[in-house]
Amino acid sequence: MAKTTHFGYKEVDVEKKQGLVKGVFDSVAGKYDLMNDVMSMGTHRLWKNYTIASSNVKEGDHVLDIAGGTGDLAIKFRKKVGPEGKVILSDINDSMLLEGRKNLLNHGVIDVDFVQANAESLPFEDNSFDCVSIAFGLRNVTHKDAALKQMHRVLKKGGTLLILEFSKVENKTLEKIYDLYSFNLIPKFGEFFANDEDSYQYLAESIRKHPNQETLKNMVLDAGFEFCEYHNLTGGIVALHKAIKA
Amino acid sequence: MFRLTIEKSLNHLINANNIDLNHIDNKIVSFRVDEIDLTLFFLCLNSRIFVIDNQQNKKVDVSVTLTKSSFVAIFNGASLEELVENDEIEINGSVNTAQQLANLLSSSSIDIEELISQYAGDIVAHQIGRAFRQIKKASVGNNDSIINTIKDEINTVLIAPSRSKIFKGRA
Repeated sequence: MAKTTHFGYKEVDVEKKQGLVKGVFDSVAGKYDLMNDVMSMGTHRLWKNYTIASSNVKEGDHVLDIAGGTGDLAIKFRKKVGPEGKVILSDINDSMLLEGRKNLLNHGVIDVDFVQANAESLPFEDNSFDCVSIAFGLRNVTHKDAALKQMHRVLKKGGTLLILEFSKVENKTLEKIYDLYSFNLIPKFGEFFANDEDSYQYLAESIRKHPNQETLKNMVLDAGFEFCEYHNLTGGIVALHKAIKA
Repeated sequence: MFRLTIEKSLNHLINANNIDLNHIDNKIVSFRVDEIDLTLFFLCLNSRIFVIDNQQNKKVDVSVTLTKSSFVAIFNGASLEELVENDEIEINGSVNTAQQLANLLSSSSIDIEELISQYAGDIVAHQIGRAFRQIKKASVGNNDSIINTIKDEINTVLIAPSRSKIFKGRA
């Protein structure tokens, strides 16, 4: 197994990446939602709504939201599964879980379970969820293949995996504009709003290091999923991969 | 969006009426409408329907090939057996399984004609975009202005459409 991996554009020891990512999210947790709104100009809400609409989740379902952060998806899933259903919000980072708990309470949502867990070794039984989601989290996982296999393991037959993640922009002109925006403005927004330029520089770099749409689709299929397709959103700035365990 | 709309409508119907899907569980049924270049794959698993594109080419249990009008007729409650007798559709596989799915489609509140018009509109928009790109490419290649290339293309389309760059690669 490789001894180094990428952390943004830097090569770091594999065992150090998790701690570095934790540092980023410890730093940004308090301003995470504000920064998402600023950076995406609110569009992240539309991407998340599309994810929920694609989830095929119904009343009584069990849903696991990995890297659930401040709980945007968990709140929406909670409404869909009804009183008979169950939603678990998991995140490796305790600062993000605390923000998630606060955010859910502010929304009057109390019946979501919080679990601090590493996506590469999920502490759940096989075949226990109807839907597993991970929004803007897979990019930060060190061993993505291992995490995808875990997601496959915990899903029931007929369960749906949803991966919402930054991806490869399709249009060359849009790509140039997007590069200018993300490498020049986003770190400055980070400095201005969250007093943290470095974390948002990492964000821009980590997006470029993340597998493109087709590569990720093949990784999902390699993890054992029988069906996988993706939908580009906002010209491929973000892609939603939807996979089914058959 | 086309597939997502159908998927959501079907699952809403299934959940609201507690419909038992055991008879089509773990089956893939495809509907192919050549006229509008549309293929829908319906996969039933975990008491719900997924409308997929089947890029992974999994084995289909039942395939239905039909015309646009018969596709619309199914949503309006037409019987598959009658459509088969009238040679309006072709079914490979269990007619019973296909009929179970057709019953679901006809019970849903999907406005299929509206959906198809949007879908066909997307295709037209795509073709217009593609034609424009062809013209732009040709004008760059010939060191000519886009307007002149459009004029040339219009002449070609009117005189000999098969030589047109717009229709290149298409029947």
